Amino acid sequence: MRAKKLSDLLKAGDRVAVSNITGREASEVTVRSQKYCGNIIGGWALGKGGQFLEVPGQEPIHIYSDVAELVKNLPKKRQPNKVIIYSPPAAVYGEVKEIIEHCGKTVETLFVITEHVSIEVTAKIAQICSQANIDVIGCNSLGMINTHDAVRAGAVGGRELSETFIPGSAAIISNSGNMVNTMASYLLSAGLGTSYGISTGKDTLILTSVRDLLELARKDEPTKIIVLYVEPGGFYEKDTVDMLSETAFPKPVIVYITGQILEDTELSLGHAGAVVDGEITSASGKMKLFDDYFGVKPFDFSRKYRKAPGLVASLKKGIRIQTLHHLPAAASLICDMIGIERDFRPSKPLRLNPWFLDYKELGKHLPSKLLLHKGIVPKPYASQVNLFAKEMVGANPPKRNMRNASHASSNDGVTTRIYGNSIEEEMKNGSFVESLFLSWTGEKPKQIEVDLLEKCLVASLTNGAGTISAQGAKLSASAGNAPNTAMIATLACIGDIHGGNGRKAVEYLMRIFSNVNIDDPWNPKHGIDLQKIVNAEADRFKKIRNAAKEAGTEYERIPCLGHPVFRDKPVNYDPREKVITDYLEQKHMVNLFLQFYHMLAFRLKEIGIAKNVWAVNLDGAIASVVLSVCWKALKEKRLTFKRVADIAFMVFALGRVAGAGGEFLDHQDFGMPMDMRIPVNEITILGGQSHINTDNAGK
Amino acid sequence: MAAQITELTFLEHLAGRFGIPVPEHLTDEATGAEIRAAMGRWGGKAMVKPDIMSGRRGKHGMVRLAKDYADAQRQMKHVQGTEIDGRLPRTAYIVQYIPSDMEIYTAIKYDSRYLGPSITLSLAGGMNIEGIEDKQKITSPVDIYKGFGAYQAGELLSKLDCPKKIINLLSRHLVDFWDMFISTGMRMCEINPWRITPQGKPYACDFKAVFDESNFKFKNIGFDLPEYPANVTAFEEEMAAWNASSYRGQAHVADLGGTSILPILFGGGASTIIIETLIQNGVKPLFLSDFGGNPPYERMFGTAKICFEHNLTKTKVILILGGKANNTLIDVTFKAIADALQSYVDTNGPINTPVIVGRGGPQLVKGLLTMKDTLELLGLPYVIFGPDTPVTQVAEYAAKFTLACAEEENS
Repeated sequence: MRAKKLSDLLKAGDRVAVSNITGREASEVTVRSQKYCGNIIGGWALGKGGQFLEVPGQEPIHIYSDVAELVKNLPKKRQPNKVIIYSPPAAVYGEVKEIIEHCGKTVETLFVITEHVSIEVTAKIAQICSQANIDVIGCNSLGMINTHDAVRAGAVGGRELSETFIPGSAAIISNSGNMVNTMASYLLSAGLGTSYGISTGKDTLILTSVRDLLELARKDEPTKIIVLYVEPGGFYEKDTVDMLSETAFPKPVIVYITGQILEDTELSLGHAGAVVDGEITSASGKMKLFDDYFGVKPFDFSRKYRKAPGLVASLKKGIRIQTLHHLPAAASLICDMIGIERDFRPSKPLRLNPWFLDYKELGKHLPSKLLLHKGIVPKPYASQVNLFAKEMVGANPPKRNMRNASHASSNDGVTTRIYGNSIEEEMKNGSFVESLFLSWTGEKPKQIEVDLLEKCLVASLTNGAGTISAQGAKLSASAGNAPNTAMIATLACIGDIHGGNGRKAVEYLMRIFSNVNIDDPWNPKHGIDLQKIVNAEADRFKKIRNAAKEAGTEYERIPCLGHPVFRDKPVNYDPREKVITDYLEQKHMVNLFLQFYHMLAFRLKEIGIAKNVWAVNLDGAIASVVLSVCWKALKEKRLTFKRVADIAFMVFALGRVAGAGGEFLDHQDFGMPMDMRIPVNEITILGGQSHINTDNAGK
Repeated sequence: MAAQITELTFLEHLAGRFGIPVPEHLTDEATGAEIRAAMGRWGGKAMVKPDIMSGRRGKHGMVRLAKDYADAQRQMKHVQGTEIDGRLPRTAYIVQYIPSDMEIYTAIKYDSRYLGPSITLSLAGGMNIEGIEDKQKITSPVDIYKGFGAYQAGELLSKLDCPKKIINLLSRHLVDFWDMFISTGMRMCEINPWRITPQGKPYACDFKAVFDESNFKFKNIGFDLPEYPANVTAFEEEMAAWNASSYRGQAHVADLGGTSILPILFGGGASTIIIETLIQNGVKPLFLSDFGGNPPYERMFGTAKICFEHNLTKTKVILILGGKANNTLIDVTFKAIADALQSYVDTNGPINTPVIVGRGGPQLVKGLLTMKDTLELLGLPYVIFGPDTPVTQVAEYAAKFTLACAEEENS
């Protein structure tokens, strides 16, 4: 091998290039590696030359057409000495030849991440790289990490590297990429961090074997103990144990060998190279090799080990573990017996720690020893759980192809149904609003909710002929269009500014209440300290408003508070919203969200944000009613959050488009063709446009 | 099951292409007249063999010597209808009997010791190579670029004290043997034995080979590999086709014949460890699976859907388990599995199978919460572990849990 110690394979200051850098996995891993250690000097991808790979908060990574272009364009000091290969299997051999041709003198190590490289190609890579004095990790490796230097090549460590890879004494060498990460995390509980994590890959030919890596670990200073994960197949472990025995290897090795259970079957294990070819390549054969070398039986969790010269001598060589979760205990035993200092204080021993559980009825029938108690979600996950729990109010339904499928309606040739409810029964026993909400939510609202929704729809019919949406219908009638076109014109005139506030209000209310445990928003005894929530929200708003005003920038308003007409009294109401509030009072009910809005309006006046108490407008009332109607289904994750926000908008849109029908009919009967046209002389000609011949304008 | 072939495919498709001398043969499609004529040509003796994928030499006594035409007909029927290791042969065939005083073993494979191909020769042919003493066999690396030449073959045979009169001809055929190996994308092939006639002419008299499915030469091999009866279940077959449909993420399964745990496992290493732990703790899962490799949503959804459609009615517990992923996105994969489970219930009606989950990796919390939501929605009992509980401990718990469920069901 070219490398003489483990750090020669990867260290701080290495200049790493990436092949096929724009691939799905390559680009994602490269960006994360760059953020972690910044060792990527560039990459290449066929047909992508001249592009850049964006790295948030850092310089983008330059992408070249091929390795030759990369070498040509980078200064001497930035020439790559490590290359990570992510190319498709059929391209790997060509890539390696190109690398040797164009930068064979600077490149020291190749990390071949690609899976499914043929064995023939792997053998050829082994030969040409050996001749070029380049070490190859792989193929089908996940890469490696040098924890002390905080650098990695490939995906070892995943996204949150520092969560698992804390600098320490253990080098992990594994046939499985996943096991590098997994074993590193288990070792933490023994108070051991890692020096290196290396995924060798487990193809038939492993181009840098465990024997080679142990040779490099021999004199590596940070490495005090080595952990191996081994699968059946290949003579690598035979060579390793021969080397360990012949050279009096100075560091203890913990080995975990898997695959014994499937020895008498014809089943193939997970990795391509895990193929038994003779006794010595089997899991049992490898276990015996290591056990004989260690001179001590495999680690027994229940045994009390007493310090004795024979045992210490054996443990200096190492021990085999029979199950993965004994790793920390075996590592602790070795540390204690032969005097390896822990890297940090050991944490709680590994144990069954369920984060979430619900045995439901089954819990009554299972033996008590199998009934676990909910455990503690550890750091850093606990805060994420809270965060995501907030985000995940509302259903997260499965997606599928809906081209020829519907939950909302069906027709079996005899009966038309809405969410399984016969439309004839609806006609006989229901109401339009009840059926409408069945169609929109899949659930029927209660009678009081139907009443309130109907009031919302009635209120939405019109706010006078001058509104933008009514004007849409009138313009269309004036142009001689049919009623459907006029109604579409009204819908086309409804948007985020006119009519869309209901949706914004639902989003706003959800932001405030998604983490509040509300059982029934209609219940006057809801038990929620609403004033506290109102005060916090008013303070938040005051803060951002003042900061924005100071900076002279825009800020996000509270949706649905304030009205252009009802604004001058000390306490203002939108009369349509008042109808809803009064009706609730009459029924001895509240709407918690509407209540919040009113209290907020008062509070904003109290803290000096508003001169008087703003009105809660109709959109706010609609949003509050819709959110309350849907709250239970939302909380029980039967409805998506987006659906509820859209329904608030649709209530207004449906009311208004119906009202637009009235404007259309009126205008059609009594209006004149083109009467909505604005005469030329009423148009203000703005600066710079005066040369336009107004005689022809407007035709 | 790896792509592999036995003697009959070799006789029909490869031996002639590469000039490797073989005995004449007839398949079960041969007419009585053709068999009678061949037996006459062959001196009245023939070998009747089953075409079956079994690693064992002699095929449990089902390789029969037929002494005349009637015997050959009878043996064909018998061999064809006799199960070996619980499997029926695909067919039976008759091979010319080659009289011989000497048998030679040869094998070529990729060898971890040389990081390239090697050839093994022994004059003690006709036996399992494992049973041959080291001093009676010789293994030599082959240069992947230069290939295997007749001089190298001759040298090796000389070292084994092979009679000189056969070295020349056999060496040339060993070169043919190498040409076949390297030209068809094999990872291992074995001719055992070469039977050497008293006149010194070698015949390749039994054969097996395993192909490297990643090698483009295998993909262009020019003939279809035969399908062996009952080799794969419908589940394995569908999953294999699904796996072959994309290179993004693995979808490997192997039927284990168990009845109690439906395992959706991630990672080549972790999946092996988990299955091993389950079996050690007394529970045989339905199958072995490895669904790692960061599959995208559609891939994982399809994989989980196939698993549920074929196995959900058989199982007592669903186990979704993997180590701490480096790369696989847990939110994407778990959302896909949860959706597949929901889709199964939408189509087939409610289930009450408990689900045990353990995982670590990127976007973990979002993934676990998504899974939890779906399990809540479906009303299924569940226990969900994070990466701080080792996979082997989760597997041990799952095994005990499953046994308890089975006991409860029986009572």
